[in-house]
Amino acid sequence: MNTPIKALDEMIRLTSPFPESVAVKEWKAKGRKVIGWVNPYVPEEILYAAGMLPFQITGNNEPVQMQGAEAHIYSNTCSYIRTCWQLQLDGKYNFLDGLVSSSFCDQDKRLFSVWEYYKKLPYMDLLYAPRKRDEEAVALYLADLEDFRDRLSQHRLNSIPDRDVANSIKVYNRGRALMHQLYELRKRERPPVTGAEALEVSKAAARLPREQFNALMEQLLDEVQRTGREIKKGKRLMVIGNDLHNTNQIAELETLDAVVVVDEMNCGIRYAWGQVDTTLPPMEALARYYVLGRPVDMHNWNSDGRLEFIGELATQYKVDGIVSEIVRFCTYNGWDKFDLRKQMEKRGIPILDIDIEYGHPAGAQAKIRAEAFIEILEGVA
Amino acid sequence: MITVTQSADADKLITAEELEKKIRMAAEGIKKQPGLMKSSAGYMELVHKYVDRIVTAKEKGKWVATHGTQQPLEIYEAMDVVGIFIEFWGVISDAVKLESVPEALSISTSTGTPGEVCSFFRNLDGLMHVGKWPRTDFMLYATSSCDNVKAYHTLGRRYGIPSFGLERPYLPYTPKAMEHWKNEHKRLIAFLEEQTGKKLDYDRLKETVRLSYRLTELVLEIDKLVAHVPSPMSAECFGGPLMAMRLLPGTQDAVDYLTALRDELQERVDNGIAAVKNERFRVMWSSFAPFWDPGLLPFMQQKYGAVSVCEVLARWRGEANWMLDPEDPLGNLAYKTQNSPGNCQYSSSIDWAGQLVEQAHQYKADGAIFNNNWGCKQAAGLGVLCRDELMRHCSVPSLTLNCDVIDSTFTTRAEVEAQLDGFFEMIEASKAYKDRRNPK
Ligand code: SF4
Ligand code: SF4
Repeated sequence: MNTPIKALDEMIRLTSPFPESVAVKEWKAKGRKVIGWVNPYVPEEILYAAGMLPFQITGNNEPVQMQGAEAHIYSNTCSYIRTCWQLQLDGKYNFLDGLVSSSFCDQDKRLFSVWEYYKKLPYMDLLYAPRKRDEEAVALYLADLEDFRDRLSQHRLNSIPDRDVANSIKVYNRGRALMHQLYELRKRERPPVTGAEALEVSKAAARLPREQFNALMEQLLDEVQRTGREIKKGKRLMVIGNDLHNTNQIAELETLDAVVVVDEMNCGIRYAWGQVDTTLPPMEALARYYVLGRPVDMHNWNSDGRLEFIGELATQYKVDGIVSEIVRFCTYNGWDKFDLRKQMEKRGIPILDIDIEYGHPAGAQAKIRAEAFIEILEGVA
Repeated sequence: MITVTQSADADKLITAEELEKKIRMAAEGIKKQPGLMKSSAGYMELVHKYVDRIVTAKEKGKWVATHGTQQPLEIYEAMDVVGIFIEFWGVISDAVKLESVPEALSISTSTGTPGEVCSFFRNLDGLMHVGKWPRTDFMLYATSSCDNVKAYHTLGRRYGIPSFGLERPYLPYTPKAMEHWKNEHKRLIAFLEEQTGKKLDYDRLKETVRLSYRLTELVLEIDKLVAHVPSPMSAECFGGPLMAMRLLPGTQDAVDYLTALRDELQERVDNGIAAVKNERFRVMWSSFAPFWDPGLLPFMQQKYGAVSVCEVLARWRGEANWMLDPEDPLGNLAYKTQNSPGNCQYSSSIDWAGQLVEQAHQYKADGAIFNNNWGCKQAAGLGVLCRDELMRHCSVPSLTLNCDVIDSTFTTRAEVEAQLDGFFEMIEASKAYKDRRNPK
C-alpha cells in the first residue's frame, strides 16, 4: 500500500465539495467571477486573463440520477450532457456567473441552448470548434476568439489586453508542462501514481485557479520523486474514449491486477499536451495551439491522426491493452470504433470496448468482461 | 476495399438500378390513380430523374458524389458531378422497398457501428460494407447538420474514396465568417477540379445559380399558396418543393416541376379545391416529416382531416433574397448555403424554435409534431424547448413521436395512430383551437 500523496490530498480538499468547492468559495469571497466552460475549445487563458475563474462543467465521483434533466433534454442525449443539466437543475451550479461553450459536438451545443433558455446566466458565449486542422481553420477560430474577447471585455466593462493574455498563457503553459511531467513519470515500469490518482490531478487542474494548481503540482511531483512511490501491478492499461470524471470508474479497473498508465481523454493527456507558443502574438498563439497544437481528437473530421496517436501512445507507454470507454449516444467515438479496432489489431494491441453511462460505475457485465480481458492479457504475456 | 460480407440478405437490399426501375414504374402508375394532384406525377418523374442520373452517370461521363446537407449543388451541376444525398437514399428506399433499410442497419451494427448513430448514416455504412451503395467518386460534406458528418471521411478512408468537407462558421453573418465560407467554396471547386481534371466554367455556374434562385422564388410563392386556408397542397405532393430545391437546384427540370406545382396550387386556390374536403387540423413538422412511414401523411389527411402545411427543413426563412450580385455566383452561393432550409439545424435551439414560431403563424398551424429521431442528437436536446416556445408564443401544442428517421421497424403505425388520436382530440378541445376557428 502506497502512502497518500499530500499534494493530491490538498487538491482534493480544495476541490471539494463538488462543484461549489472550498476553492470556488474562496475565489468568490473576493468578489471575483466564476465562468463555466464545457469543452476543450474554450480557451481558459482568456477567461483567466479577464480575472475570472474558468471552471469545467462536469459530473464527479457520485453518479447522478438524470430523470429530472429529461424534462428538458430527451433521453437519447448522452449522459454527460444530461448529468451536467441535472446538476444545474439541482442547483449545484448556482455559483456560476457565466458559461462558455463551443460547438464541439451536437449535444453540448444543445446543452448551451437549454441553459440559455431555461437558466440564462449573466454572461453566455459559444465559439466554433474547427473540425479541420489547417491554416484556414486557425484563421476562422482566431476571428472567433477575437470576437469572444471583445464580448467578454464588454461584459466586464474593461478590456483584456494582449499583455494579460500573454501572462495567462505562461501560467497555463506551466500547468501543462507540470501535468506532462507526471505523464512522463507514468512511463516508468512502475509508475508513481495510479490512473485514478492521475485523473484526480487532471480534474483539479480544471477546477482550481491555475496558479494555485501549479504550486500544488510542483509539490506533487517533488513528493512522488522523493518518496520513490511505485505502483506494482501486473498489466499496463490505456483508457481511451470519452472523458471520465468519476474516478471510481478507473479505480474499479485498478482493483484488478492492472494499472492505467495513460489515457487519450480530452480531460487527460490532451489537457496536458504541448505549449502555447509564447513568441507569437498571444491571441494568434492561442488559436494555433487550440486548433493545431494538440493531438487530433474525436471531433476532428479526419481522425487518422487520432488513431495513430492512440497507437503511438500505446507503444510509448508499453501498454498491454486498451480499454475503450464510450458514453452511449456519443456519435464521434462510434464512428472511430471499426477502424480503431483494425489499426490496433495490426499493432497487436488488444482492445476492450465498454459502453458506459457517464459518471455511473460499470455494471456487473462490464466488470466480468474487464476481468476476462485482464486474464487474456495475462495469457498473452 | 473491404470484402463483401456474405451473411447479408442481399435480396432485401435495394440497389440503384432496382430503385430506378421501380420508381419509373411508380411514375407511370401514379398517372392512372384518381383523386391525386396532377403534380404528383411530375414529382415522381423528378424523383426518377434524380435516381436515373445516378445510375447513368458513368455512361454519360459524369462523376458521382455521395454527400450530406447544405452542399452547393449548383457547383456540382456546373461541373458534371451528380449528387447522391444520403438522406434521400434512405427515404426513397423506404418508399420503394421497406425491408432494405432495416437490413442495411443490421449490417452496419455488425461492423461495430453503434445502433444509436443516425440511421441515415448507418444505412450508408451498411450498404457500403456490402458493396450496395451506388458507385461513388468522392464524398462531400459540410459542418452543418450534425456530428455524423465525420462519417464521410471515415468511410472514405475505409473504402478508398477521396473526401472534402466545407467548414462552416457557427456565427455566419460577420464579414470574416462570410469570407471564410466563400473561400471554403473555392476550396471545394479546387478539390473537384483536381479530382475530375476539369476546370469550372464560371458562366455555367452563373446559369445554375440563376436557376437555383428561380427555384427559391418559386418555393416562396408555393409557400404562400400552401398557407392558404384551407390548404390546397395534398399529402402526395408535400415533399415536392423539398425535393426540387434541396436535391436538384440549378436544374431546369426542378424549375419546370415547381412552376407546374405552383400553377396547380394557384388553380386549386382559385377554384376552392382543398387537400381535404373538411380541413380540421393544420399540422407542422417541427423537425422533419415522417420519412420512416411514407403512408402516414395521406393517412392523417384521410382519418383526421389533418393537412401537413409545413416542415421546418423545407422552408426558407423570410424573403430569402440571396442573389446579392449575379456576377458573383460564389458569393451568392455562400450566402445561400448559410440561409437555406435545413441550416437551422446547425444554429442554436432558440433560433430553431424562433423559426417554428414564425412558421406556426405563417401557416396558421393548429399543432406541431416533433419527430424525435432516436439517432439524432441535434433533435434530442431541442424538442422540449421548441414545444415550450410554440406554446408560449402561439398556443400551438406539440406531440413528440419517438421514432427512427428511416427504420420502419422502430415504431408501429398503431402506436403512432394511438398518439395521434389523443393529440388531435386534445387540440380540438383546446380554447386556442376554437379561437382560431371562430375568431371573435
Ligand atoms: S460524450 Fe460525446 S456527445 Fe456527449 S458531450 Fe461528450 S463529445 Fe458530446
Ligand atoms: S437526422 Fe439528425 S443525426 Fe440524422 S443526419 Fe439529420 S441532423 Fe444528422
